[in-house]
Amino acid sequence: MERRLPQFFFALSLVALVLMLGAVWQAAAPSWKTYQEEFHRLESVGEPNAAAKSDVLNAALVIRQDLLPGLQRVDRCTTCHLGVEDPTMKNAPQPFSFHANLAPHIPAKFGCTVCHGGQGLATDQQNAHGRVAFWQEPLLPREYIRASCGRCHKEGEVPGVPELTDGRRLFESQGCRGCHKLNGVGGTVGPDLTEEGAVHRAPGWLERHFLDPNTVSRNSPMPNFHFTKEQARALTFYMLSLTNEQMGTYYSSVRLIPSAGYGRQLFVEKNCIACHNIGGVGAKNGPDLLGVAKQHSPGWLDEQLVNPQLIYPGSSMPDYDLETNSRKALIAFMASATAEDAQTILAQRSKPLTAEDAAIEAGKQSFSRFGCVGCHGLELQGGVPNPNSQGGEVPSLLHASDDYTKEEVVKIIQNGKVPPVDNPSKPAAPLYMPPWKSVLTDEDIHRIADYLWSLQKKKDAW
Amino acid sequence: MNPIRDAWQSIFRRDPLSTDKGKSEFVFLNVWLHIHPAKVKKDNLKVKHTFYLGFITFFLFLILVTSGVALMFYYRPHPPQAYQDMKDLQFVVYLGSFLRNMHRWSAHGMVICVFLHMCRVFYTGSYKRPRQFNWVIGVVLFLLTLGLSFTGYLLPWDQLAFWAITVGTNIGSYAPLVGARVRELLLGGHTVAESALLRFYVLHVAVLPALVTLLTMVHFWRVRKDGGLSRPVWKLKDRQSPELVAIGGAESNAPLAAATASQDKTYGLMEVVTGKPIFETVGMDEEEDAVFSYPYAFFREGIALLATVTTVMAVSLFWQAPLEEMANPAKTPNPAKAPWYFLGLQELVSHSALLGGVIVPALAVLALIAIPYVDLNPSRRPADRKWAIRAFTVFVVVNIVLIVVGTFFRGPGWTLVAPWAHLAGAE
Repeated sequence: MERRLPQFFFALSLVALVLMLGAVWQAAAPSWKTYQEEFHRLESVGEPNAAAKSDVLNAALVIRQDLLPGLQRVDRCTTCHLGVEDPTMKNAPQPFSFHANLAPHIPAKFGCTVCHGGQGLATDQQNAHGRVAFWQEPLLPREYIRASCGRCHKEGEVPGVPELTDGRRLFESQGCRGCHKLNGVGGTVGPDLTEEGAVHRAPGWLERHFLDPNTVSRNSPMPNFHFTKEQARALTFYMLSLTNEQMGTYYSSVRLIPSAGYGRQLFVEKNCIACHNIGGVGAKNGPDLLGVAKQHSPGWLDEQLVNPQLIYPGSSMPDYDLETNSRKALIAFMASATAEDAQTILAQRSKPLTAEDAAIEAGKQSFSRFGCVGCHGLELQGGVPNPNSQGGEVPSLLHASDDYTKEEVVKIIQNGKVPPVDNPSKPAAPLYMPPWKSVLTDEDIHRIADYLWSLQKKKDAW
Repeated sequence: MNPIRDAWQSIFRRDPLSTDKGKSEFVFLNVWLHIHPAKVKKDNLKVKHTFYLGFITFFLFLILVTSGVALMFYYRPHPPQAYQDMKDLQFVVYLGSFLRNMHRWSAHGMVICVFLHMCRVFYTGSYKRPRQFNWVIGVVLFLLTLGLSFTGYLLPWDQLAFWAITVGTNIGSYAPLVGARVRELLLGGHTVAESALLRFYVLHVAVLPALVTLLTMVHFWRVRKDGGLSRPVWKLKDRQSPELVAIGGAESNAPLAAATASQDKTYGLMEVVTGKPIFETVGMDEEEDAVFSYPYAFFREGIALLATVTTVMAVSLFWQAPLEEMANPAKTPNPAKAPWYFLGLQELVSHSALLGGVIVPALAVLALIAIPYVDLNPSRRPADRKWAIRAFTVFVVVNIVLIVVGTFFRGPGWTLVAPWAHLAGAE
């Protein structure tokens, strides 16, 4: 034994050395280096000059990264995806191919993962594509990538992504807020959706859930709204965009894309047609706006909007104090506006409401804005199934004034109500009326009650 | 004149290793090695006596210090950078994963080896006079090791870290009067957040390692001063063995009476200290057993070191240290578990917070410290201390069972589940 000790000692030293070399070998050949070498070969193919060719081939292998503090991420995707901004790589195989239609969303300013998902810090395919345990944001399937536009562009229309607008509209009109909170406003029956896009980053799951909640989430109290495929897709897009992440000033400044559509909306809102006309249609107090974008540069128009007195002292146009993006949107609208547009805008101008009607209208809007329609129905007909509640479904509100006084209804809205059960031995009914007093002002609640009573009056008039 | 040989001899001022004088001087003229005696008893070197567990623990500590310092170059103790730095270690730092794996696995290994070392010392009765206080230091070192592992657990700032520390510090807060205060002091707040990370970091890289280093020095020094390693139990001849010679006030116990001291050789400051020192002496018949530390002890220790290093390296090559999602205080995993070595405690807490979280562990630590002062049976022979061995075995088994149950058999809501339930796709 004693004689063998030194032999044993040196044998173990050798094992230690081998293991050390093993670690070095493991660390020495990361896959990104192989990709970069392959890319350099690909680049050098068309290079006629021998010196330049060897330069390209021998270029240093380095990790490339986009530091994006405003998006709270570091993206190293371009370490392998080297041809993203190189149009000559249009037909190159992945991971080198060129990203068409990238501008203005260049990697240096936006990185990749904010749209595509994945793990920006990683430098090997499996980890980078996020298809590993403990990474919640894997690459989005191709057809859902556009949903990410809504992470920055939270309002208005996004060109090329009608799903987002549709989803947002559906969310507000179908009364989702009645059960779900979003950005602090909404009911407490279902989960808060403020961060849904970060928590449930699974488009397939979301879409199946909207088509039939029970298939993916057993015994979900959420009623089946019988959405069409398109509607489910639109809602999925909207959910994926709800990530509630902190963003730098630049990224949050583009909440609204200054599109012509938004410009048109502003044009209506600010009542421009009251002074201006387009191609002769409208008022004649101000200049005709048809072709105004051809006569003046966008810069000139922008200055005019900032300060109407600057170029035409004594102009009767008021200063609307519009923000940059709103001005851009208006200019975009003016560039595209036609006389027909003016015609429709004029036609849609509604007569002013009486004070009473306005209050009822406000109540109606609150009723839909806070999601009451989600359970009580768009026509207040009720009927959403609610197993084991008396009657088995959410009550209709058409006859509220028959059964309750206005004060009682206000109390119910304020404090919520748990429906009486049909059969005490079964589990309680999944849907209930949440208390709204922390969300709605007393004024709002009274207006909603007034709205309900106004419907009753209409019926009586029959 | 040979300048190279002169230079060499100015550094290693000893005779050639082929001579006995050279072998002795190799030990006591070397600052790093002189904690060893020049000669050691051959039987003490046997693997089956100590399993070299103390050495292995110390070597793991050396690996931890080395890899830990290297990791410090890449680590910022502030969320969310702390988590990003873990990702950077994994994806861009050269050998970063390997480094972190080595640190992680050595840390788990050290907790296990400290515990096994303690078991070995108990079963060989080596905590007995004169080594009582060194056992106490050992228990403190065990607790410090747990502290080091626990503080290090938070540093990756992932879900695993965050919730393990949340649960772990909650267990501590069950202590009456001081519990909540101690927790607040440790976390620098009421929840695990930035200040907790910074405090754990400072404890982990400065305070606790310094304490462990100091106490380890004392621990080693006392091993030497208490007469080196205890004799293997199979060398204890019988109950009357004159193993121990004590001086002065010690009550006349059997060993002293039986000793024929004048025939024994002792190592000590004969001219200065009168009487016989309190440490084990070697009988003349055993003198034959002694061998020079070089090469017998040093090669064995070297082999233990290399075996430890290679094992840790091999494990680190093939198994990745865990890293989950970034810590998210809003998302509680179910069940949230403390680090594995506290899962026995968590298991107890799940039955009774005060009893399991405070009283039982406090009593267990006090009992461990008190062992050498309560167990007054002077014999170290297993045959003479059956009840002590049974009691300690029960303590060890209960600990292991509780940890195994907490680790593998507890599912959502801390309900009992089979460990293979998640494999069968029960969810």
